[in-house]
Amino acid sequence: MDPVRQDEFDSEACGSIAPKAKPCPRPKPGEAAGGCSFDGAQITLLPIMDAAHLVHGPIACAGNSWESRGTLSSGPSLSQYGFATDLTDSDIIFGGEKKLKESIDYIAGRFAPPAIFVYSTCVTALTGEDMDAVCKTAAERIGIPVIPVNSPGFVGSKNLGNRLAGDALLQYVIGTGEPEPGTPLGVNLIGEYNIAGEMWDIEKLMNSAGISVTSRITGDARYKEITWAHRAKVNMVVCSRALLGLAREMESRYGIPYFEGSFYGAKETTYSLRQMAYLMNDREMERRVDRLTEREEARLSQDLRPYRKLLKGKRAVLYTGGVKSWSVISALKELGVQVVGVGTNKSTEDDVRRIADRVGDDTEYIPEGGASRILKTVKERKADIMIAGGRNMYVAMKEQIPFIDINQERHKAYAGYEGVLRLAKELTYSLANPVWKLAASPAPWDREGPAYER
Amino acid sequence: MNVNRRKKPASVNPLKIGQSLGAVLALQGCYRAMPLIHGSQGCSAFPKALLTRHFREPIAVQTSALQEMDVIFDANRNLEEALNLVLSKHRPDIIGIIGTELTDVAGVDYQTMLKTYKRERNMRGGLAFSVVLPDFRGSLESGYSATVEAMIDEMIQQAGHKGSRSVNTRQITLLPGSFLTPADVMELKEMIASFGFEAIALPDISTSLSGHLLTGFSPLTRGGVPLDSMLQSLQSGLTIAIGGSMERPARRLHNALGTPYKVFGGAMGLKASDELLYFLHQISGEPVPVRYCWQRENLLDTMLDAHFQFAGMSALAALEPDHLYSVSGWLTELGVEQKALIASYETPLVAGMDREIWIGDLDDAEVLGKGADLWISNSHGLAGAGRNGAAFMPAGFPVWSELGAYMSVSVGYRGALEWTNKAGNLLMQREAGRREDRIRHR
Repeated sequence: MDPVRQDEFDSEACGSIAPKAKPCPRPKPGEAAGGCSFDGAQITLLPIMDAAHLVHGPIACAGNSWESRGTLSSGPSLSQYGFATDLTDSDIIFGGEKKLKESIDYIAGRFAPPAIFVYSTCVTALTGEDMDAVCKTAAERIGIPVIPVNSPGFVGSKNLGNRLAGDALLQYVIGTGEPEPGTPLGVNLIGEYNIAGEMWDIEKLMNSAGISVTSRITGDARYKEITWAHRAKVNMVVCSRALLGLAREMESRYGIPYFEGSFYGAKETTYSLRQMAYLMNDREMERRVDRLTEREEARLSQDLRPYRKLLKGKRAVLYTGGVKSWSVISALKELGVQVVGVGTNKSTEDDVRRIADRVGDDTEYIPEGGASRILKTVKERKADIMIAGGRNMYVAMKEQIPFIDINQERHKAYAGYEGVLRLAKELTYSLANPVWKLAASPAPWDREGPAYER
Repeated sequence: MNVNRRKKPASVNPLKIGQSLGAVLALQGCYRAMPLIHGSQGCSAFPKALLTRHFREPIAVQTSALQEMDVIFDANRNLEEALNLVLSKHRPDIIGIIGTELTDVAGVDYQTMLKTYKRERNMRGGLAFSVVLPDFRGSLESGYSATVEAMIDEMIQQAGHKGSRSVNTRQITLLPGSFLTPADVMELKEMIASFGFEAIALPDISTSLSGHLLTGFSPLTRGGVPLDSMLQSLQSGLTIAIGGSMERPARRLHNALGTPYKVFGGAMGLKASDELLYFLHQISGEPVPVRYCWQRENLLDTMLDAHFQFAGMSALAALEPDHLYSVSGWLTELGVEQKALIASYETPLVAGMDREIWIGDLDDAEVLGKGADLWISNSHGLAGAGRNGAAFMPAGFPVWSELGAYMSVSVGYRGALEWTNKAGNLLMQREAGRREDRIRHR
């Protein structure tokens, strides 16, 4: 069976450093879903928690999007501030560069951030403002880095935005600083955004194996740590193809080896930790990782026992809209949940290969978005649960289908061994909730029955 | 009396919401409608995500998915493609094409294009209109009211001048403002109906975003006012608009059809509810239903019970202009000091208020409202309220920090009662928390 058409995956270049003439498939007018490149750039950079993020454009780009992503901070909260130049008619006509300059100065003076990221939007890109020049002179004037992020919404998809944000980090941030002498050097985590605090679980695991994190790119990161990312010994790209280009470029520039891995599922987690130790070329560390993973896996399988019983044979449709498709499958398989349908909407050929390695032959591939398409698969395949992003959550509720939110707005952390247990619990809570039975049964007056006897 | 702005170049923690989101909201209140945003993908993805989070309902919206080259060469090719697809696949009754700042700055003329499209396709039976809503003007409220106006315009044109209009004096067109929740719209419809009138709400989010279990997926809106009711509303004997922003659509109906209209700035609090019910009583000649008499007493009793709690308290409110007007009126009745009133943008209604108004963002709220005991704004205000040590009461749009915000009632006596208790409880909890802190730290 050849489940996927080749031409649906001409998008591999989204992950490479040099895009081909047509980097991503054109979204279909009238049937497009998902965010734009501006959104993608912010998803990548907003987790740099102590920096200021200034949106240069009309209000909606910032006003409609700030505080909507589930990335968490362990301290500074400046990145959760919504900054916008809030352009008006006259700014558009006479140019917004002056306002941008003043806004940068204002933010620097009042909030004293270690750096300011400035995002272009469709409008400022269209009017041809020289944002890079404004940022450059501003940086010289105020003495902190001011980084232009050229990822206006209309250049393409969210994934392209991730990549463009990665480019900005390469060009303006990575390699501009040095760690304090004596800092243990280890792994950069690339493409892990600390959604719902997942980063913390991962870091805890790594630390107990004696692996230190050099830079977090960018979950719960501080600006400074990214400036010395080039001193790391290993790069791990956390199930995200969009920042693969960043890892590749760092390999060629700084000689840092990289690998792609995931923290969803015990097996993937173990593999990722092993891979880190292996690439660090440290025997002692490898032994520590082995001991740790053995212990954690044993404990996990003990903890999972009651849930496995309930979840065994349950059928799920997975629609994550891209990066997590293959990695979450592993976690579900470990719980005995069968994936009967999986979205391949934004997956590359590599991703699809990985998906194919992990699912059975009768799993349906859902190449294109749209709630109706997902629902069709759920119904035809008699799925028990739908696992998708927040936007599809209420579609599932209307159809009374149990649902788990897996995307960046979610509030539950599923990474690492603890994450698997949490996922098992969430699946059980969702499937076992009494509401499904209650909602499916009609009101007493809608039931056929004998007439009331006096 | 006094409209001020703090001098600062950047917007910090925006209160403003893009106008186009208001348009999408308005169209959710129409049955089998499809808002089509003419812009890049994000221009529809953000409003969709935001509205979904607030209402906890699927939201119908599509995009022309403009990319760089489309904008430079021919943006309308995308729009045509989107229209073709939406029409052939979903056959909506209503299509609203929403122009964004992107099409505005690029100077795309889609109005003419839409006219040609409609003529060439011989589109009849449905309602298709366009509205220009760049985000560098106005906010959610202006986008919503402009969309209702454009919709009414198209309805009037479509109905044409077929003889003289028959007027149904027992029918009232209700134009609910953008700040009203689905439960508010339902409450207003019930109030009007209780005087023997038939009320057609335009748009009607009370039946589309209030939570229903209609199964069978559709990418179009589910619930809301159907097109035939919308067209029938042109025969109404009266228009009642709630919120200053809804005066323009009401005036449009008046100018084209001669329908008299009455604008209520709001319907929140004792006095505003009194006014609305007294008006309905007068025009109908019917007595005020006994349940409203009861509710009035309930409210007054609640206010008496609560007045100890509100004594000496101060509040700040940062909301859309019409909403701010309503909330300020209610706060006045509670005797709460209004430390700062911040509107997202300036309108005649707030400019004419007998209070000092600031046009600004949530950072302004934080600075100007320092020391306020109660903070009323959308969920974005949570962090600022925390920094200021104020009790946080989510209101307006978006509210994601609380369940059922879309079902909370603010209009009528019942709404004032609900809000008074909620605000009072929040202040009590805050006080209890503070007491506990004092004990612990001794």
